[in-house]
Amino acid sequence: MTVNINELLHRSLDVAALRQRTIANNVANANTPGFKRSFVSFEEHVQGAMARRSLTARDLQPRLQQDRSTSMREDGNNVSVEHEMVLMAANTVQYQALAQQLSSRLSLLRYVINDGRR
Amino acid sequence: MRIFAGMATSASALSAEKLRIDIVAKNVANMNTTRTPEGGPYQRRKVVFSELVEGAARNRFVSLPSRGVGRGVGRGVMASQVVVDDTPPRLVHDPSHPDANAEGFVAMPEINLVNEMVDLITATRAYETNVQVLNASKSMKLRALEIGRG
Repeated sequence: MTVNINELLHRSLDVAALRQRTIANNVANANTPGFKRSFVSFEEHVQGAMARRSLTARDLQPRLQQDRSTSMREDGNNVSVEHEMVLMAANTVQYQALAQQLSSRLSLLRYVINDGRR
Repeated sequence: MRIFAGMATSASALSAEKLRIDIVAKNVANMNTTRTPEGGPYQRRKVVFSELVEGAARNRFVSLPSRGVGRGVGRGVMASQVVVDDTPPRLVHDPSHPDANAEGFVAMPEINLVNEMVDLITATRAYETNVQVLNASKSMKLRALEIGRG
């Protein structure tokens, strides 16, 4: 099954938004005893599926995972605010890049619809 | 609406951290208080945070649907309880104080200023961090509004 590029961009944008929410939740709970951070995995699945040349709709589902293996503090909390902020910066840039990509694809479409006129 | 979910998560943290700062202010303001409505010296208060999860008390900033993508992401944090620290009061010898006992000792609140300041600083930093996350969420949402424009 082939996946439409627009569909892929759309899903990736959703994933970036979901990741932002996850990071917001991790940072919000940076002082909650016993809290364990969550993260979203998506790109690695898509990459793996593309390497196998078998990208399906199922590979485009983001997976929410929780890191229960570590502790940053004595109270069991494992949120590293620095790490989350770095992830957030990267995620924001990624979101903007994806939005830009989608915009340019749409403007290409508009160009074609307008018969080459601007 | 789900698009504001990330912002609501940060907002819940802002209000929780603000409460922590308020409680520090209350503790510091009352560090020499010997009379309270409950009787006896003031006792230190402490805020307990708990995670807001699916199905728990709802985030008061926005109501979130529990379907589709994003199901299972927590909804932020809430200050679930303000507990009273029942460490026994510190006895200070001051016979001239009106609340002194027969031996001349006054029961003073057991409040350690250093602990309060550390609490204040961590709460302030956490507040600032959450503001940053909120701004990042906002800029992402604004960027999404520009898709297909121009």
